[in-house]
Amino acid sequence: MVQAQAVFGGGTMKEILKIAIALTIACLIAGGVMGGVFIATAKAKKRNDQLNLQQTLFGLLGYGPNRSAPADLKVHTIYRYILADDGGTYSGYLMPAAGSPSDHELLIVDLNGKFIRRQELTLPPEKATDEQDRKQAIMEVLGPRTTANPADALMIAGTVAERRAYVVTGKFPGYKNAIHVMVALKPDFSILGLEITAHEEDPGLGGEIEKAYFKNQFRHKAFEEVKHLKVTTVPLAEEHRRFLEAEGAPARMLPETDAERSANKFQRDDIHAISGATISSAAVANGVRRLVRNAAQRISLLDQMIRENRIPAAF
Amino acid sequence: MVTPPKTHSQLFLNGLLNENPIFRLALSMCPAVGLSTSVMNGLLLGIAVLFVQVCSSCTISLIKNFIHPRIRIPTYTLTIATWVTVIDLVLAAYVPVAYKAMGIFVRLIVAFAIITMRLEVFACKHGLAPSFWDGMGMGFGFLFGMTILGAIREILGMGSFLGYDVLGFRPLLFFVLPAAGFFTVGFMMAIFNYVETFGRHRKKGC
Repeated sequence: MVQAQAVFGGGTMKEILKIAIALTIACLIAGGVMGGVFIATAKAKKRNDQLNLQQTLFGLLGYGPNRSAPADLKVHTIYRYILADDGGTYSGYLMPAAGSPSDHELLIVDLNGKFIRRQELTLPPEKATDEQDRKQAIMEVLGPRTTANPADALMIAGTVAERRAYVVTGKFPGYKNAIHVMVALKPDFSILGLEITAHEEDPGLGGEIEKAYFKNQFRHKAFEEVKHLKVTTVPLAEEHRRFLEAEGAPARMLPETDAERSANKFQRDDIHAISGATISSAAVANGVRRLVRNAAQRISLLDQMIRENRIPAAF
Repeated sequence: MVTPPKTHSQLFLNGLLNENPIFRLALSMCPAVGLSTSVMNGLLLGIAVLFVQVCSSCTISLIKNFIHPRIRIPTYTLTIATWVTVIDLVLAAYVPVAYKAMGIFVRLIVAFAIITMRLEVFACKHGLAPSFWDGMGMGFGFLFGMTILGAIREILGMGSFLGYDVLGFRPLLFFVLPAAGFFTVGFMMAIFNYVETFGRHRKKGC
């Protein structure tokens, strides 16, 4: 306290320096501790994030504690990159190839969807899940004159015999900030399920988009319906809500006849907006519509390219 | 403040009752009002505060001799921020289940008045053991207060307890709204004061 009064009175340079140094040291120590903990936990955190993703993915495909996935089910991820060099801008699809798990193919396509060339590259599976490692592998084959920016990812889940589903991830602006979603599609591009993975909407209002009664409304919508998906402010009927909350929740399972009747009755409904959060609801409906349309277009394009150029794809 | 308590159990009870952070000191009212809408919220935020309070109190009591008196408050804030970050990272890495439920609460704590106040009033003047027990008392006091508030508001507002429907109807929806937080805190303060005065009178009588 005596010290403090001295500073008020005189305000010596020495005292100010002392304070500055003390504060700097305190900040450095705090920074060091935080940095150390960050480095120590980074690996475990990444593993958790991946497990989480896997769980969400399997949940979307309809597998869980009550229904286990078939043993030979494989999920292949195709990463899309925006590539740019002196000649222009292209899309690059990085995908696993048939053969050893390390084999990958990079398909380069111009912006009109015309196939330009393919490039083989080796990327061990444990490295393929890391953004940094993937980018490095691409840069190695394309050379330093090209820039590669990650755009989005598409997952193809299937057994040896058949493709079961596609899962696309994407984000779009919500009421406040970006809403991140994962959408699972059947091979005919009808919606198998929607999961909101991250959002910053208001709790109790826009935050309700993550509730079953909202996101399950997207389930079973056929591709033709998704193309014209919009929201309606007509309130959700009580029977419809019960049906939506029961879906994917075995504990609330409805009798089969009731469920089927409700499914038929509400199949063609627009998406019922959450009361008080029409903007968030519409953002999700429009975002999903765009996402599914783009995904369907890209998947058809990819399949066509793979067929025409006899690319040894893993799926 | 009244005469400073001495034994560890007295320190602990002091935080829980005599100087309960919410009902007696009236500190950290924003979270007390904003987040005490359900028992679960109250409980989780309480646990998060308990951890940060104990860790920060211990740290400050250990390094109190090295802190320059004019930058006490920045140092406290730094200490709290460091512990909050460390707990956030460790939970995310090793206890993902708890992180999913508590993550958002832990990050809120940096700005809580109660923690800074205990460091300034108590931890920077006492040794490790008393600071630990003071932190425990304050942490549990906050947890206790938040849980009580949460229980009252959830039962009256939603008709449920811990998410399970117990009443079957919603008696007063008003209680889940922020304004009702102040009412509930006020009622609890009144009860605390009443019990205290009542207790004193009885002591005099004996």
